[in-house]
Formats: sequence, C-alpha cells, structure tokens
Amino acid sequence: MAVILSDLLSAALKEIQDSKSLDSLDSVRVNYLGKKGKITVQLKLLGSMDPKQKPIFGQEINTAKQRIENELQLKKIKLKELSISENIQTSSIDVTLPGRTYLSGSIHPITTTLIEIETILLSAGFLIQDGPEIENEYYNFSALNIPENHPARAMHDTFYLGPDLLLRTHTSPIQIRSMENEGVPIKVIAPGKVYRRDSDLTHIPMFHQVEGLVIDENINFSHLKGILREFINTFFNKELEMRFRPSYFPFTEPSAEVDILSEDGKWLEILGCGMVHPNVLENLDLDSEIYTGYAFGMGVERLAMLKYNIKDIRLFYENDLNFLNQFS
Amino acid sequence: MQIPTEWIKDFCGLDSSSQEIIEQLTMAGVECDYLDSSNQEILNLSLTPNRADCFSVKGICRELAVLNDLTIPHDNSDSLLINHQDEIKIEIESLKDCPVFLTKIIKQIDIKKETPDWMVKRLKMSGFKSINIIVDITNYVMLETGQPLHAYDLNKIDSTIKVRRGFNNEKITLLDETTKKVDENYLLISDNSKALGIAGIMGGKDSGTSLDTESIVLESAYFNPITIMGRSRMINLHTESSLRFERGVDPSIQKLAIERATQLINQYSGGKNGCITFKKDDSSIPKKQPIMLRKERIYQILGITIANYKVSEILNKLEMEVKEQDYGYSGWLVTPPSFRFDINDECDLIEELARIYGYQNIAEKKELCEIKLSTNTKRSIRTNHINNVMVNRGYSEVINYSFISPSMNIMMGAESKTIDIQNPLSIEMSVMRTSLLPGLLQNLMYNLQRQYTNFKLFESAKIFLPKNKLNIEKHVISGISYGSNAGEQWGIKSKPIDFYDIKGDLEMLFTSLKINDQISYSNGSHPMLCPNKNAEIILNDLSIGYIGELNPELIMDLDLSQSPVLFEIDKDHLEKTDSKNYQDNFYFPSSRRDISLSMDENQEISSILKIIKQLEIPILKNIIIFDVYKGENIESGRKSIALGLIFQAKSRTLTDEEIDRYMSNIKRQIVSYFDLKIR
Repeated sequence: MAVILSDLLSAALKEIQDSKSLDSLDSVRVNYLGKKGKITVQLKLLGSMDPKQKPIFGQEINTAKQRIENELQLKKIKLKELSISENIQTSSIDVTLPGRTYLSGSIHPITTTLIEIETILLSAGFLIQDGPEIENEYYNFSALNIPENHPARAMHDTFYLGPDLLLRTHTSPIQIRSMENEGVPIKVIAPGKVYRRDSDLTHIPMFHQVEGLVIDENINFSHLKGILREFINTFFNKELEMRFRPSYFPFTEPSAEVDILSEDGKWLEILGCGMVHPNVLENLDLDSEIYTGYAFGMGVERLAMLKYNIKDIRLFYENDLNFLNQFS
Repeated sequence: MQIPTEWIKDFCGLDSSSQEIIEQLTMAGVECDYLDSSNQEILNLSLTPNRADCFSVKGICRELAVLNDLTIPHDNSDSLLINHQDEIKIEIESLKDCPVFLTKIIKQIDIKKETPDWMVKRLKMSGFKSINIIVDITNYVMLETGQPLHAYDLNKIDSTIKVRRGFNNEKITLLDETTKKVDENYLLISDNSKALGIAGIMGGKDSGTSLDTESIVLESAYFNPITIMGRSRMINLHTESSLRFERGVDPSIQKLAIERATQLINQYSGGKNGCITFKKDDSSIPKKQPIMLRKERIYQILGITIANYKVSEILNKLEMEVKEQDYGYSGWLVTPPSFRFDINDECDLIEELARIYGYQNIAEKKELCEIKLSTNTKRSIRTNHINNVMVNRGYSEVINYSFISPSMNIMMGAESKTIDIQNPLSIEMSVMRTSLLPGLLQNLMYNLQRQYTNFKLFESAKIFLPKNKLNIEKHVISGISYGSNAGEQWGIKSKPIDFYDIKGDLEMLFTSLKINDQISYSNGSHPMLCPNKNAEIILNDLSIGYIGELNPELIMDLDLSQSPVLFEIDKDHLEKTDSKNYQDNFYFPSSRRDISLSMDENQEISSILKIIKQLEIPILKNIIIFDVYKGENIESGRKSIALGLIFQAKSRTLTDEEIDRYMSNIKRQIVSYFDLKIR
C-alpha cells in the first residue's frame, strides 16, 4: 500500500509541476482530490483496513493529501501571476494615440460677457427685465426726455419700420416699461440687442447693451459711483484705475462717463451713467422731489473687446469658426 | 470741433501744456483729445449736444477761465466808422422764428486781397479751407465767437432780404452745389424773386461772394433753435452753421460778431461801411429765468455737502447771477447767462456744481436698498441651461443680424410676409428675419469656404412676424449641422450626419428639460426642408418647431455635397420644470424579452409602441428598438424591426410565467392591429 501511495504522490506532484493553465491544474485537483479522486479513493479504503494499520496509513494519506493541496495552492498562485502578466503584455496600448472625441461646441463671447454682467449685477440685487426690440417713439425717445428734433436724436441714428415704429436704439425702453408695470422702488437691469443705423470700422448696426436702473428714496450720485466701481473691478477681476467724468445724456442729470486706465496708459470709455432726470420720473408719474434714481448703460461688445483683447468689433458677427472655437 | 491750441492759449492768455488743457477740459465734461497723436498742436473736441456754448474759441476759453481762475479779455466795443447810409430792407415773416436779424452793407471791398497767413493757418488747423478773404473772415469770426455769419454779393440780391418759411416743393441750389427740395417746415432767406439760402444751414449758390464781388451784405442772425433743429438731418446736410444754430447761439452776440467781421474786413480787404440795419423782437429772445437752487436738493442728488461759499464761487465763475436766500442756508436764486441753453432746471445747476467741484471729489457709497430676491431669473437660468446642452452636443453659438435680404428670406421659403425696414443700410439688411435658418445657412456657407468640414451651429434670438398689424416677436432656438457624425479619427467609422443624429440632440435637450415624454414628431411640410425627411415637433398638442434635412433643390442651388440638418424651436415654450418627485429605486432584477417583426416599410414604428403602451402593462419598464433593417433577406416593401422589452417590478422578482403571459398578449394585440409578422 505504502508503495502505491508514494507513487501516487510523486505522480500528482509531477502533474502539478507540468500544469500549464489554471484549467489543467484544476483537473489535476479533481483527479486526485475530487469525489472520485485517486487519494479520496484511498481514504475510502481505510474503513476496510486492519485497525492496527489504519492510523498509520491514515496519517500517510493525510500527509500526502496535505502535500498535494499545498502544491496545488502554490502552483495556482504562480499560474495566476503568469496569466496576469501575460494578459498585460499582450494587451498593451499606445497612450500617445489621441482619445476619441466628438465636436466641442462654444458659447459666443457676447453671450458669455452678457451672462457675466448679469451674474454680477444679480448678486447686487438687480432683477433682469426683458422687452420688445420693436418699439415706438414714446418708449424709445419721448419718455426718456428726448423730444422730437432734439439734437440728441442725432446720437441715435434710428431704423424705422413704420410710422411710430422703430428698432430700439437702447434698452432703456425696457426700464420705462418695467417702471410702468412694477412701480417703485425698483432695481433692474435690461440686457438685449439694440440697433443703430451706423456701419463702419468701429460701428455695427446691431449690438448689445445692459442698462441698469435704481429708483428709490435716498438714492444719490455717490451710490452710483460706488456700485459702478465695484462692478467694473469684479468684471475685470482686478482693481482698475478709473475716472468718472461729466458727460451728457438727455435722460440723466448729472451725467457721467466712466473711463478705465488701460495698460498702455490710455483712458478707455466703458460706460455711461447718471442720476435719472426729473423729467423722466415725472413722465412716469413719480414725484421727483421724493424719488431719485441712478441709471447706467454699457455696450457688451465694448466690454468683451476689452476683456478678450479683440480689436475689431466686426469679428463678433462674422461667425467664423476659427473665432468662435477660441471661446469653447 | 477742432481748434489749434495756440489760438486758445493766445485768446485767454493761458500758459498750460496741451496735455493739461486736454485733461482739464475732459474732466469738466468737454471731451477733448489731440486730433491725431503725432500732432499735438490741434485739439479735437467732442462736444455733447447740450454744450452749444463751447462751439467757439471764446466758449472754450470761458470754460478754461473757470477752471484756472482766469479772466478773459472783454469784447472790443469800439464803434466803427460809418462811410455811407445805404441799407437793405429786411422783412421778417415771423420774429418767433428769427428774433434777431442784423445786416450791414460794405461797399468797395477788394475781394482779391489775400487772407493773411496767420488766419489761413488757424482756419486750416480748424479744418476750414481758405476760399476768399470775405468767406475766410466770416468763418474766422464764427470760430472765434460762435456766431455763424453769411456774406451775400449785394448785386445778386433783388432789393429786399426776407426771412420766411419755404413754399411747398420749393427748390434751392446751395453753395455746395446740391439742390434741396424744401417746404414750410424750413426757414429760408430770400429776396423779392428767389431763395438765397436755408436759414441756419447753408447759403445759396447764386447769391454768395465770388471773385467779381465788389459790395457785400453781411448777415448776423439769431434763429430760434426749434426752427432749425432736425432740419439738417431731414435733408442730410450737417454744416458748421446748423450745428451751432440747432443747439443755440448766444442771442446777445449778433452785433459783436458783425462788428468784429467788419473790423477784420476793413483791415484786410478795405471797404466802405454802412450802418447796421436790424429787426429784433426782445420778447421772442429766450430769457433766462431765475432758478431756485436748494441746498438740501444738492445733497439729495449728489450725496455730498458743498460749502455755501464754494457753491456761490462756482456759480459766479460760470457767469451766473447768484442771489442768496436766507444767507445761502436754504439756497440760492440763480440766473444763468444767455449762452447757456442747457441750464433750465435745478438739476442742471447741480450738474454744473458737480462738474466744477469735480466728480472725483464725490464720495463712493453703497445704497441701502430693499433687496428683492431674484424670482424672475428663470429666463436667464433657462437660457444658460439650453446653451450648455447645445454646447455639450457640439454646437457653436453664432449671432447674426436681425435683418436679412428679402431674397434670402424668400429663398428659404420662410414666411413671405415680413416687417420691412424703411431706411435700411442696404437691401441685404432690409427685412426683419422670420426665421434664424437663413442666417445659419449663410454661416454654413461661409465656414465651408473657410475649409471647415464638420460643424454644428446654433443661434438663440428673436424672429419677427407681422400679424394683423401687430408685430410678433418670438424667441426661437435654431441649429444647423453638417459633415460627419464623428469627424475623422482613428478607430471610429463615421458617417454623414443625418436626421437621427440631430433628433438625438433634441431628445437630449428635451430630456434635460424633463419634457421629452411630452414631445412627439409627425411628418412635416416646411418648404425649406426635404419633403420626406422633415418633422413637426409637437409638445403635447402644440406645434413648437420643426427638424429636417435641407430641401434637395436648395442643396443643388448651394452646391452642397450632403444635406445639412436643421431645426428651429419656439423657445418660449421650453420651460424648465423646477423639480420632480423622486421615485423609489428598483432593487429587484429585471427581465428582457426580444421580439422581431416584419412590417410595411411605410408603417411608423411609433404606432406599434403606442399599441403596446395602451396595454398599460404595469411591469413593462422600457422598450428598446435595437434594430431596423431593410434590404437583403427581407421582402421588398417591408422592413424588419427588433424590439427589446424590459420588465421589472418594484417589490418582487418576476416569474417567467407572468412575463410570458404579457408577451403573448402584446403579440396578439399588435398582430391584430397591423399587417405584420412576428419572426
């Protein structure tokens, strides 16, 4: 019996040694240790054995079984490692090949700039108002203290669509409409497209504006200066040298232009503003003795040009992908 | 207006550099710069329409005098010799239109005398060409004083000078040789037989001075700004004279200006002077009324207190007449000078104070204001959201002008009724667009020419539709796509973009807005799109847009090698629902059954899905269409489709028997409705 057992053991160890895969290793296991395995059969024979020899033989079988199990386990670990490293070697990739991509889109820089302006002013408590782009004389001019034939109308070359029908030349009409609808106190911005009959190197017939309006008791020029400095510094994300200088708009008095100092030492005009003219307030049936307000307006193209260092305003409307994709 | 620095310094005796002058004037509201940066001798002033008083060397000097504590020299009021008594008769139809009108005849001038070099130089630097000694002097005096003058050739005037309104369809040829048609809206200068010029704008060609002129009539007038305003814009003729008259010329300087011109004419061209003949109506000359300036109002508007003495000092320097009320504690009664047309109200005075006091000296504060939280920012959130979805799907945003050419609008088969611009810049920009697609198609052509081959563009803007005299503005979002769905790259076989690629983009958009299950599509008939490859997009029962491939005719016209896919959707209907109730997770396993059918190729797949949905099977969670096939091995005129049905329940594992029961019901139902075979 002992001879057979030792033969069995060495045969098993050899088969384990020769196994090339986890599958063949498993069949070795089944062959010796499975339900009908050669070692298992030997164990079953124990029952019919001489009781004296039983413990000795039993121990021998168990030792052999243990040995086989150990070897199986060791071989299994080896084969696993081998298979993983083979796998890794055969499936290597070229990490320098480009990844799979699809078209990447982009938002127009004017929209981005508009949203930035809106976001800053929203955080300062301004509400956003919308209004029609086709307007009449009253909302675009008269309500804003610009009577017919006033020289200030020359500042607004207007596209007409019919008698008393025009394309708004600024977004101020929105403010008049929101005043009519909501009354005071009011704190709004009016973003949108505006139209002027103008076209040359530095002018385009359609552009975007954001205008702001605050009307309440106790609103004065120092508040206007305060909010605009804050706005400009936030928009450009740095402390800029800026100046407020007197200017003229029919709907504000006093009026001002705000300039910022560029890196090359030039003052650049970036927005217009002022205290709402009492005539505008009276047109809205507000008592200008009690209510005062400030207003400001900025050209979005102008701000975008400064922010992105774009020199030619017409680039915004060529819609060349070479330009647009730079803003993705 | 451009003026040489030297003239300004000479006039007011100022000893500042050009740079200092520019700085001072600009910060006082008279925007000013070098005419060009390489030539610092000429100032360019961008005058705002309110500052008529600065339209002269004298006006600029008045401003500089205030800022530098200077006194400018008094006007020379020496009387001039009178050599003859000839006068020309003046008739003024309405003194309201023309409250002051002065003339003077100067005989025996020598018009061939050359203009002195210093004057030619100053005129040239101010942008005026030298014409002849008389015209040069009238221009020079205008630049110096702000009073436009005109010189007529005495021999060309038919006895009387009349100031009257134009006749209907009256024609006049002006000094610039253009002929203008005028009517009673315009004020004219005429004689007994003909028009001599349009008042305040330009003189006539036939009555001006020439090299034969021996005697002249000088005219110096004050026209009511309301009579001049807007006229030059109507006839598109802006002149130095109209610029000044429509903003307002000082009504007190007509005599001064005519005498100054006479003196210069005598000095450089000789001549025998007549006396001044004039018509004047004091009651029609604008009188400056005293304005009450209240101390607390200054604070209310500016947010600062300016010392009493400072207030009166600034106003005095500005040549205003100031009377203190209660020693300045309640305020001042202020009468502005005749040349300040822009100062009529208290707020105008406050601006003057702020301007001279210096905007930089006004403190910056933050207002205390009741803050309304932004409930109405849905608009911008929605816009940002939609934009982000489009960008993630590969679209680049474009912005086109709102006006396009009528032919483009028609070619696109868009709405034939349009809102037209009456004064367009060009025919190419003369109608308000009724769709964004023409613009996008132009962007497509432009970028194809720039050798871009794969791209998606979108625009979000208003379109303008005329409806029963009302003009409708509608916010839409539109897109165009061209090229291949994956571009050119290794490892992916890409194919030309088609209807379903873009429909997928829209489904993503609708899903992100949580409305995809309310959207359906039906065959559309938009003329711009390919007849059998276009769909109407329906939200519940409302048509909100369309999607499709471009009409083959247009593809041929534009010489495109494939068909772009386009869409346009009403944006106002795309509301983003704020929240949605959370549904419990499904933790029990799902089961899938596939079913393969063959059906008539014209049969819409949605009709089958609809039948299955109508069965309202509670455990049917999803249906996947995983194959659609036409061609080999399929009967002609039919297509094969394969559906995967996913079953799942919330609270238990499903049994095969249960699912099989539903499956046989489904099969029975769809076979009974349609001519199809289950394979």
